Amino acid sequence: MPDSSSPTSVRRRLRQGRDRLATVLVTAGGIGVIAALLAIGVFLAVEVVPLFWPTGTTQAVSQQALWLPMEGSADPARYRWDPTTTLGTDEAARVSLVPLAWGTLEAAAWALLIAVPLALGAAAHSALFMSPRLRSRLKPTLELMEALPGVVIGFVAGLVLAPWVERHLADVLAMLVLLVPGLLLAGGLWSRLPPRLQQAMPLGWAGLWLVPWLLLLLSAAHALSPWLEAWAFGGDLRHWLEVRLGLDVAVRNAIIVGMAMGFAVMPSVYALAEDALSGVPRSLAEGAQALGATRWQTLWRVVLPAASPGIFSAVMIGAGRAVGETMIVLMASGNAALMTWNPLDGLRSLAATIAIELPEAGPGGLHYRLLLLAALLLFVFTFLVNTLAELVRTRLRRRYRRLGGGA
Amino acid sequence: MRPVSGSRARLPRGEGPGAWLAAGSVALSLLALLALLSLLAVRGLEHFWPAPVALVVLEDGRQLAGERVREVPLPEGTGRERLYRTGNRDLYGTRWEWVAVSAIAEVSHPPDLVVLERRRWGEAIGRLTALESETGERVEGEGAWPALEARLAELTSLRQARDALRDEVILPRVRALEEGGDVDRELATANARLRALQAAMEGGRLTLATADGGRLAVPLEQVLRVRRPNAMSPFDKLVAWGEGVWRFLSEGPRAANTAGGVWPAIFGTVLMVMLMSILVTPFGVLAAIYLNEVAHQGRLTRLVRIAVRNLAGVPSIVYGVFGLGVFVYGIGGTLDEWFFDAALPSPTFGTGGLLWASLTLALLTLPVVIVATEEGLARIPDQQREGALALGATRLEMLSRVVLPMATPAMLTGVILAVARAAGEVAPLMLVGVAKLAPQVPVDGDFPFLHLDRKFMHLGYHIFDAAFHGGDVQAAMPLVYATALLLVLVILVLNLTAIFLRHHLSTRHGALTRR
Repeated sequence: MPDSSSPTSVRRRLRQGRDRLATVLVTAGGIGVIAALLAIGVFLAVEVVPLFWPTGTTQAVSQQALWLPMEGSADPARYRWDPTTTLGTDEAARVSLVPLAWGTLEAAAWALLIAVPLALGAAAHSALFMSPRLRSRLKPTLELMEALPGVVIGFVAGLVLAPWVERHLADVLAMLVLLVPGLLLAGGLWSRLPPRLQQAMPLGWAGLWLVPWLLLLLSAAHALSPWLEAWAFGGDLRHWLEVRLGLDVAVRNAIIVGMAMGFAVMPSVYALAEDALSGVPRSLAEGAQALGATRWQTLWRVVLPAASPGIFSAVMIGAGRAVGETMIVLMASGNAALMTWNPLDGLRSLAATIAIELPEAGPGGLHYRLLLLAALLLFVFTFLVNTLAELVRTRLRRRYRRLGGGA
Repeated sequence: MRPVSGSRARLPRGEGPGAWLAAGSVALSLLALLALLSLLAVRGLEHFWPAPVALVVLEDGRQLAGERVREVPLPEGTGRERLYRTGNRDLYGTRWEWVAVSAIAEVSHPPDLVVLERRRWGEAIGRLTALESETGERVEGEGAWPALEARLAELTSLRQARDALRDEVILPRVRALEEGGDVDRELATANARLRALQAAMEGGRLTLATADGGRLAVPLEQVLRVRRPNAMSPFDKLVAWGEGVWRFLSEGPRAANTAGGVWPAIFGTVLMVMLMSILVTPFGVLAAIYLNEVAHQGRLTRLVRIAVRNLAGVPSIVYGVFGLGVFVYGIGGTLDEWFFDAALPSPTFGTGGLLWASLTLALLTLPVVIVATEEGLARIPDQQREGALALGATRLEMLSRVVLPMATPAMLTGVILAVARAAGEVAPLMLVGVAKLAPQVPVDGDFPFLHLDRKFMHLGYHIFDAAFHGGDVQAAMPLVYATALLLVLVILVLNLTAIFLRHHLSTRHGALTRR
């Protein structure tokens, strides 16, 4: 096309100009969006600063009031969070963040205590034993479980589960006692079955056919609980707890929060742990099994150590979610800012406190800034935990590549 | 490889107890999920089924009529007690009654028990004794029920005529009058017709005899619906169930969110999520393209990528705090000072509203969209890009004609996941603009039609509010179950769409065909 050289060069310059303009726009837009996202941390930090270096309009709060016990007070609880009645009055400000941080960590700890064994067990089972067909169905199912909104789980936990558990405390205890022996019994019975039945109910599908067995265990626990209560606890477990152990039993308590939040956190821990376990190069597991190890021994001695950084990062991500979850704690915990070791008492978390109190706290005031400090704590904690998990995961991926390459 | 017989003998002993505990944790998780979903489904749907009304005669001769709600064991372990919904709150002060099972002498289900749904005071339960029309005619006994049904149908058509008159005749005339038109006479005749219709609706009332011998007079305009559940056939009940579900989806809430429907909440949720996805899609895609295609792939980009990924794990309430501090108080407060200072000190944009809620949720879901789009972009082989460039395309043409079309399913997946997350998120909304009760939806016929500054209702917050802040939680529970079921269904459908799209995406990229 020699004769059309001049219009072509104009068109080409136009195209290149358009290209350059688009690149500049994409760059500006991309950097803008990312800066807006990162601005969250900056905003929180800037708003919190006047708490510690007063600028004239706002007074400062001493570090002591926030973190240390109150001195010389007759109050038996030496850490109190009570800003609405004490700020702006002559009384000493009771704005200790310690009970809130305590409540947050306690709720997260109970949630992890329930979620981590369940998630790791499920991950181990689905990475090693489960039939591929069931596994390809189970993963999306648990993803759907992860997507269940916190407000629904919190409602069920606070208004259905909590009153039920309060009335059937002994049932729950009996179920806990029966769960492990019951599952082992299932294993023992299964090995006694004739081979044809064993083939009909293989271990690979145990995740499904154990569900009715668990229902059977539940009803057995329900039937046994009055007997258990009469035998070990003098007929009334709740009375026994209150009198003998001195434990208050609140309807909405840390255990309920732990159960609900464990349910909510379990799928994300499972997904990451399963990825880590099934990402371990097959050559390792095959080598161990060729040397005569059973699949469980392979898991315990070879696969789990190789995947342990991935498991750790899965647990970390779960902890991050549990610490920041708002609606479940808000609806299932009773929101009393207590600091006790008693798992049957209520608690109040940082996130729930923000959700309850921030709409009423006027902008710029001391209360507002205290709540922003709470938000900053949550932000920093989750950001650090997630970064740690991400770094560990990146390193793990590199290790797998090396191991896989060597095979 | 061991022989088959040896492997069978080895399995139970060799795999050990751990394998069974691991399998048990899968089963336990599935059981918990199943239990939650079936609880929501059963409780959410059974409320709309017309429950039989029992007439209970107690040992001491007292009688009560009501729907049986549940039965629980007494705390001392001696017998059980039943909860009945007896209605008639204006007579008894409560609409619930606990009865010890041992105190019940007889339970029957007479077909002539009537359940009235009223505008105020909830439902009334009793026997229809008389119907009085506005002219003073009185129908008693057997004839009262057909007369009541006929009269209620008549009232419904009168009400429709009144609404039509108001919307189609009077309101346009009033608008014309404001613009200086001469329509006084037409307006006067229309108003006279309206008053006549109004008068035709007033005055009638019915009398119920309650089970314990009380007497309840109810003006007919207070009555929403009547039914005799014990006399209904299963088909009638099915029709009533369908109507109940439809009313739940299409009506606004009544009686402090303990009765009525959730239409404004559905509308608010959908509108907010739509606005959010309109905001989040272009920005998320832009940021992903920048990170993956334009930016220099160095240490800084990697750090930014990790940071964005981690922002997906930051608690949603923190985003809510940011939205309140920056959008509502910061930007909203400034907008008010500049453009709406006539309305100050009552804020226009300086308080939570639809716009700020969608913006906050857009920010919250931005990492989801960025990460999903980036994954899609990274999966496209470099040969595709190099091929386009080698054929003389500029980078913009390469991106817009080759790369983006291939990454579309990934973007869609990201947006759908973002929508699913946003639809279930409540905590940040409590800070930036959700309302307990906003019967006016934020879209109407007044300029500018879409009111971004208005507060709105949300399904998730409706659950929280009705379950924890309502006066009579017991009465609100069935509706809370139904709302929760609705929310879960919406989110499940969105997630299934995302899963389907992702599956589609991976099979398509396996073949690597364009379009």
